Amino acid sequence: MDNTSHSAVDALRDSYLGGPGGVMGWFRSTDHKRVALMYLAWTAAAFVMAMILAMLPLMMALGGGDFERRMLTQVITYQRLIQVMGWMVPVLPGVLGFFLLPLQLGARNMALPVLSRLSLHFHVIGLLLLLASQIICPIGTGWTMDSRLAMLEPGAFEVLLVGLFFMAMSWMLTGINFVVTVHHGRRQEMGFFDMPLTVWGMYVYGYLLIFSGAVFAAVALFMTASRITTTGLFGWEADPMVWRSYFWFSIRPVAYFALIPGVGILSDLISGISRRTSPGYRLLVGSMIALAGLAVASSGVALIGRGLDPGSSLVFSFFSLLVLIPAALIGFTWLSTLYRGSITLSPAAFFALGFLLHAGIAVGMGMLLASPSLGSYLGTSLFASAQLDYILWGGVMAALLAGLHFWWPKMVGRNFVAGVANLGAVLYIVGLNLALVPRVIMGTQGVPEDAIGLVSGFLAQAQVSGLGWLIVYSGLGVTAGNLLASIWSGDAAEVNPWGAVTLEWTVPSPPPEGNFDG
Amino acid sequence: MGSANLSAWFPEWASTFAPGVDMVFYDLYFVGLIVLILTVGLAVTFMFAFRRRSGDPEQVPAGGLNKCLLGAWMLGTIALGGFAFMAGLGEFVDSTVPPYDSYAIDITTREGAWDFAYPGGYVADTLRVPTGKPVLLALTSEDISRQLAIPAMRVQQAVLPGRTTETWFEPITPGTFPIYSGTFSSVRYDSLPVAMIALSEPDFASWLAAASDIFAGRTMAEVGEFLYVAQGCKACHSLDGSKLVGPSFKNLYGHEAVSTDGRTRKVDAGYVKESVLSPNAFVVEGFQGVMPTFDGKLDDRKIEAIVAYLESLSDHGEAGPQEDK
Ligand code: HEC
Repeated sequence: MDNTSHSAVDALRDSYLGGPGGVMGWFRSTDHKRVALMYLAWTAAAFVMAMILAMLPLMMALGGGDFERRMLTQVITYQRLIQVMGWMVPVLPGVLGFFLLPLQLGARNMALPVLSRLSLHFHVIGLLLLLASQIICPIGTGWTMDSRLAMLEPGAFEVLLVGLFFMAMSWMLTGINFVVTVHHGRRQEMGFFDMPLTVWGMYVYGYLLIFSGAVFAAVALFMTASRITTTGLFGWEADPMVWRSYFWFSIRPVAYFALIPGVGILSDLISGISRRTSPGYRLLVGSMIALAGLAVASSGVALIGRGLDPGSSLVFSFFSLLVLIPAALIGFTWLSTLYRGSITLSPAAFFALGFLLHAGIAVGMGMLLASPSLGSYLGTSLFASAQLDYILWGGVMAALLAGLHFWWPKMVGRNFVAGVANLGAVLYIVGLNLALVPRVIMGTQGVPEDAIGLVSGFLAQAQVSGLGWLIVYSGLGVTAGNLLASIWSGDAAEVNPWGAVTLEWTVPSPPPEGNFDG
Repeated sequence: MGSANLSAWFPEWASTFAPGVDMVFYDLYFVGLIVLILTVGLAVTFMFAFRRRSGDPEQVPAGGLNKCLLGAWMLGTIALGGFAFMAGLGEFVDSTVPPYDSYAIDITTREGAWDFAYPGGYVADTLRVPTGKPVLLALTSEDISRQLAIPAMRVQQAVLPGRTTETWFEPITPGTFPIYSGTFSSVRYDSLPVAMIALSEPDFASWLAAASDIFAGRTMAEVGEFLYVAQGCKACHSLDGSKLVGPSFKNLYGHEAVSTDGRTRKVDAGYVKESVLSPNAFVVEGFQGVMPTFDGKLDDRKIEAIVAYLESLSDHGEAGPQEDK
């Protein structure tokens, strides 16, 4: 506090952060920047919770202890549920989407500010119900909640399902808000193809959020009804394939393609650190739209080897392989942006490299899983679950951290310590690959994804992987500590450190309540 | 087990599918790895090579995309994707169409149990297969969904209630191979069949003959008891004197039986044989003639065993408590 200059304190008071304070001040706020910060806090809390759950069996296993199987399944179930539903899907739109959309479009706020707040509140309600179900009586069906198992589980399943319903509604509201804001909140002179790529990513992903949110909310309600009556669409008599189809059809697009907003963020970021506009703007837009289409068209690929008939398997394999085309276009455009740029090696750049590596691995693994004969062998192994980890821990996390390190000075008006952030990036990237590669290998060796605890014969892999997780955790700890510390001890940030041309860099750091009023 | 194994990636080659599946994997893996290293490598190189230098302008011109390079890059991608689809296609289609002459084993699972039913009708709780010929597994579950994976064979399949799923493979080497099976659940879980045993064809044949010979190691009365359960007599005939669909087997043997039309007969070996083969020739008073015939299912020796078992349940048993005949 002491070493911040007087003008910095003034800047803070004039900014959105200086508005009505206290719990109620934040709770009632419909300002998009405040909603974004609250999303950051809630998603971070959820992620830490999932991390702690993930640590428990790991520590026990390495310590030679033995977890009771029942508890282990419950821990793993909640860890994945929190990670996917409470973090992976909402985090990029919630934090970077809400923060950047109006700023980059030149708007004062989201087009539907009350809906922003409602999205956040639904998300929080959903998360709290999910945790409540864990406290009341946890379920252990795995995060895909197979319908027959759901009928048998003694746990507080209904509470969980209502929680998931709220989360899905929150996704839908977020999507609607994004789409409306893009259509109606844009500055008059800004055409569709003048919009920054982050906005495009959020806009395209918004449609997936609406689609998945609406369908999954309905699915969660139907499941609740089936669970209460044990009949109906997902009841005891129903074919388990019905639930599997609905579940993957609604969840897979929004979860496995949570990388789409990441692509938008990274495109702006790579332009920013290279100090030039992207040479393949329309290609990137087209790629993101194609990815969203393929997200839905390929969703059944998750069912290969899980009871899907051979004909349909081939159709979904085909659509899944088409993902390679937009992915290759995106990679090429990014490399072309970097080539002969004027690049600042900042922490954001290192996290961007992490995204490139992890998303590349995830796409490559997706290619292997979509190859017909391999897919039916690997599709239900640890290989598949490691691919989800590469998307979740690798892609979405790297995009979030890259974006945060790029826009953090704008968000809080303070600079973090670059060296510490670089250290965090290196620990995170090295650790994550150390943690996941052994699991990929266990997968090709045939260990199924529902293998619980230590699988005999794979002790070495489990140990390397455990070490990797420890490094990831310490990397994330360093990163988070550095960002948080900057709020108190960082020096004041410039308005436009990158010489970038997008609108968010024209407002003060941190921006005032109405963004462009000043 | 002396079979080829290229790296840490896959378990040994123990079925005819293994080479095909593995080769597609390695082809795609090596190409994918090269592309990944190239992309990330170039990104790192560019970041260092084109570092911002003092005197650089605030913004540098956007530049353009190299059309030729882009074309080549996209053609390469399409070729890779096409290869990924085509290379696995043949194997995949093969794996979905079991050969006509496959050796079929029906697998049924319920909580805590896996039943492996062999073509001769023998049901075991372990999975043994012959090498050198296609083996077809027909899978179904009586309660919840599960997965069954036999990595050394490169097969895995869903086991679903209300459906029969199939998978097939041709083992090439005898040996014991791990099976991963089960479900992710905290309420129900199985005693997993931890291994599949592949035997050379003669070994398999002699194992099956020995295992499915119900007379081996049992007294006649014990065989009779086995058949009482296995053939389903249990559903209609009690052992404690209580009346089910049919009369109880307790104290049946050696007593008089009265038919609906008033005839009487002593229950002896000949009578039991007639009751089992043509039940409606003599319908016992107070019962309906609903017992199915076991003609063709029970041969003379098995009927003898049942007789011995009935004798052992009766105080009028001529041979007294069970004796091996
Ligand atoms: C569907 C029910 C059902 C099954 C299964 C069944 N039985 Fe019967 N059984 C009957 C009924 C009803 C009667 C009495 C009517 C009759 O004699 O046909 C009977 C009668 C008999 C009798 C004559 C009993 C008497 O009091 O004289 C014998 C012996 C017998 N069963 C043996 C067997 C054996 C051995 C099996 C298994 C291999 C078997 N049954 C399976 C229903 C069944």
